Amino acid sequence: MQVNILYRSSQTIAQCWLQPGESMLAESGAMMGMSTNVQIQTQSGGMMSGLKRLFGGESFFRNTFTAHGGNGEVLLTTPLCGDMVVLECGRSQWILQNSAYVGSSYGVDVQTQGSAKGLFSGAGLFTLATQGQGHCIAGSFGAIEPLPVNGDLIIDTGHIVAWESHLQYRVTKATNGWIDSFLSGEGLVCHFTGQGMLYIQSRSTSEYGSTVGALLPPREN
Amino acid sequence: MPNHVIKHQPVFGLLEVQLAPGEVIVAEAGAMVARAPHVEMDVRLNAPANAGFFGKLKALVIALIRKVVAGETFFVNHFSSPHGGWVWLAPALSGAIRHLVLQGQTMLFSAGAFLASTGNVAMRPRFGGCRSLLAKEGAFFLETSGSGEIWVTSYGAVEEVYCNGSYVVDTGHIVGFDASLNYTIKAPGGGLVGMLGSGEGLVCEFQGQGRILVQSRNLGALVNWLIPMLPG
Repeated sequence: MQVNILYRSSQTIAQCWLQPGESMLAESGAMMGMSTNVQIQTQSGGMMSGLKRLFGGESFFRNTFTAHGGNGEVLLTTPLCGDMVVLECGRSQWILQNSAYVGSSYGVDVQTQGSAKGLFSGAGLFTLATQGQGHCIAGSFGAIEPLPVNGDLIIDTGHIVAWESHLQYRVTKATNGWIDSFLSGEGLVCHFTGQGMLYIQSRSTSEYGSTVGALLPPREN
Repeated sequence: MPNHVIKHQPVFGLLEVQLAPGEVIVAEAGAMVARAPHVEMDVRLNAPANAGFFGKLKALVIALIRKVVAGETFFVNHFSSPHGGWVWLAPALSGAIRHLVLQGQTMLFSAGAFLASTGNVAMRPRFGGCRSLLAKEGAFFLETSGSGEIWVTSYGAVEEVYCNGSYVVDTGHIVGFDASLNYTIKAPGGGLVGMLGSGEGLVCEFQGQGRILVQSRNLGALVNWLIPMLPG
């Protein structure tokens, strides 16, 4: 699979080219267009992995796209305005924030993993970990900017897209005291250490949601 | 003045700042994206540095009013390090970041436009007048004065208009303006009928010579579009 990212950084499309007989996976609902010789198969990969994905903020089903009798093209998008990045899996593997997954090569296994640390990291209780060889496409809200970790750095939890899995992180208060951390508007932050790549997004869905949401009438239940 | 780069304009502006040793950048609460670990973050009440107890009390009361009326945060974060370091900042909405230099002049900004400042910039809320209470965008402008740098954010792209004599801007599209301008908030076309009929809400009429920063989108208009779409 070859991937070309178009219309960065706010109206991004991932243009994926498949060789005859080649397959790829994509998040349910991500396909915006494809060649007629590409067939879609919907699969959950088993009840448990489907449920895990559901809890992870993804959809229960993931679609497999296969090109038959020639080359095929699949175009993928995300629901919100934003950017995408192609993560190379093989020599290094990646952890994705739960809603960042867009699509991947057939040779890349994207597993949902749960951890309490993930819950507080803002990446979600469930994060996604890649295994195998190929590409994984991650999407964002806002523009994606690479932020190489060389030693250590601190990042707001709402701005994380993906990081190389050999990086270490811990969740800490944004500043020394709990009250100050709350007042600072930053709450919890992630402290990353090691050597490797991290991708950030220039906007946070929760900050956008609370800014616009504060102006909307209360939900009636 | 710190080195800075603004990337991903005008939709998803991201401000990358490199602080010199001991230099301080003041940023709106919640604006931090990432920072070097040795850069200290200190949360402060947004009050003038030289304010005494009563000055701070007044700032707190005004800040609380702004929080309730204008939905603004009233705390700011101070970032600095004895060794210098980097900080990345971004606003909450989709839009641009505009860099401005203050050299003794005063500028006024709409509620929510402030992102960050360095140097000796004093900030205080200024009541926009009784009519401004009718404007959804908030009854207070943020008055900035002194010398230093300011970064402001817009919802949408930001355009600079030079007011040479007079100019009219929809209140929902104002980012900021030079305090040398006089302004009147009023209904376009005059009266209640004009206000309801033109679909423009309230406008701000400027008189004099000075810069006006306008934004290409209007948060109030987004909210008015969204509300009928909501279920229930």
